Amino acid sequence: MVSPSLLVAIPLASAFAAPLVGLGSKKLAKCIPPLALAANLVIGLLLLPRVLEKAIVVSIGGFPPPFCINLMVGPLGLSLAILISLVGLLISIYATGYIKTEPTEKYHALFLLLATGALGIVLTGDIFNLFVFFEILCVASYGLTAYEKDRAGTEAAMKYLIQGTVGSTFILVAIGFLYGLFGTLNMADIATKVPSAEPLHLFLILAFFVVGFGVEAAIFPLNAWLPDAHSSAPSSVSAILSAIAIKTGVYAIARITYTLMNAQGFLIFISLIGIITLVVGEIAAYRQKDDIKRMLAYSSIGQIGLIVFAIGIGTSLGVFGALFQLVNHALAKCLLFLAAGYMIYRAGSKKLSDMQGLARRMPLTAVAFTVAAFSLVGLPPFAGFMSKLSIVSAALKTGRSAYVAFAAIALAATVVEGGYFFRVVQGLYFRGGSKGESVGPTKAKEAPAAALIPILVLAALVIAIGVYPQLVTNVLDHAAKELLDRGAYITNVLEAL
Amino acid sequence: MQQVANYMYYAGGGGLILIGLYMVMAKTNLVKIILGLSFLDTGTHVLLVAIGYVRGRTAPIFSEGMAETTPVVDPVPQAMVLTAIVIGVGVLGLALALAIQVYRHYGTLDVRNIRGLKW
Repeated sequence: MVSPSLLVAIPLASAFAAPLVGLGSKKLAKCIPPLALAANLVIGLLLLPRVLEKAIVVSIGGFPPPFCINLMVGPLGLSLAILISLVGLLISIYATGYIKTEPTEKYHALFLLLATGALGIVLTGDIFNLFVFFEILCVASYGLTAYEKDRAGTEAAMKYLIQGTVGSTFILVAIGFLYGLFGTLNMADIATKVPSAEPLHLFLILAFFVVGFGVEAAIFPLNAWLPDAHSSAPSSVSAILSAIAIKTGVYAIARITYTLMNAQGFLIFISLIGIITLVVGEIAAYRQKDDIKRMLAYSSIGQIGLIVFAIGIGTSLGVFGALFQLVNHALAKCLLFLAAGYMIYRAGSKKLSDMQGLARRMPLTAVAFTVAAFSLVGLPPFAGFMSKLSIVSAALKTGRSAYVAFAAIALAATVVEGGYFFRVVQGLYFRGGSKGESVGPTKAKEAPAAALIPILVLAALVIAIGVYPQLVTNVLDHAAKELLDRGAYITNVLEAL
Repeated sequence: MQQVANYMYYAGGGGLILIGLYMVMAKTNLVKIILGLSFLDTGTHVLLVAIGYVRGRTAPIFSEGMAETTPVVDPVPQAMVLTAIVIGVGVLGLALALAIQVYRHYGTLDVRNIRGLKW
């Protein structure tokens, strides 16, 4: 029986092993991130059947909770951990060929630290421990954004760092208040004591947490850093930031609102914030007629808004839809950024106008890009359709007029989303190069195998989940139940030994 | 007067945080903004220590010749602050390194002139 703490320990240890091995052999160091994350993926999948029956609680230091820091490996934490390992594995395979700026070991070390932070956030059961992992994730992503040391990347990283640090301060202050009120940092222990506190105090703490994690989750109006950071970073970094880093902020908000605070009255605000984020993100993305990565970055903001909106619905179907959309967006946006990375590389510029007709030279990449774009818009044979359907039907089933109106706005925003994704796909296939080989990017050819494999695997996953949603729905159903049933969470942790 | 003494540390911590927020939002020099981040960090640390402080008690370090019943303050916030200091130093170091890079690219630290990307 493998211990779930390996899920955090393996990437952490290999993050520090990568530069050391790099002293001896550069080629060996390149293989460390894929190997570590593949091991993580295998461990996660091995643990999954057991966790679906009963959550595993790992107490560190031999004390029983709440006196120790514990890992709480429930269906929600483990399914997100598997998602992080899978996406991280595919991106790290892509990065072995894509990242050429020396010293590449530093890139791999930071990348693994980012994965460590994300895995720690979703698995930990201690609120201060969550903050520490969150900081690991943030610092690693600041570093990765500035990895190329170019003009745009440095400036974007600087902005990201300033806003992220202010956000972290809010989180730390909230944790301090929480400790002052309850005298404990264990999330299950806090959850048992929450009913005894004054609602105003809890509201203030929750507001601090939402602001703090909202910076990383890029909810409006805290999203100023995201378009710059995601569009200026190397494409493999944009992929992991969009697929993993911003999702951890959403996870933390959901965990704190549901499990920690049980803030039913606050959910409508969360939905409102989500809808505003969705509308702002999609309209801003539509206005990006030039830079493909900036468009994808704004689209990420919109999708995050949709997920946050679904989390605020508060029914099991709504939370299920949110998690399903989270998984689909992670896969599809990761694919879009990875495909865009080589499209930019081959076309020689980030401009959409220079990519017209590229589908003739890079057919596989273009097909994969199209699959992911259609999935995000929510066309039926692809994964995004099912999750959007669950979110909209969950909103309608609540029967409250506010949620019905929000669902209508969300659907209208989807039309805008369709507008800009179809424009790109049309440009790839039907514009430029109509007079034969002389027009369009002439030297472009298909991406190399190390990049094509992750792209095609992701495209296959998007189609597979769309055609056969039972692949993930069973697990996500359990995960949604875990988030809504805080009583079970508390008993699982506090009666672990 | 007793009231003032009770809330002095909270007010100090909160005040430092407000000064830091003002510096981050209002200053135009990148180094001053980074100093503001440092103020934010310090204010949070003071606030955390104040939460765990109990008047008239000593540091939670047991050494030889010290009775085990000596009243001490809560050690958990202090452990948190130690962790937070380490994180803060790391972030500040990275911020200053990035500021040097920004200066190399733009030749200025005035954020009004650093506009390669849309703010």
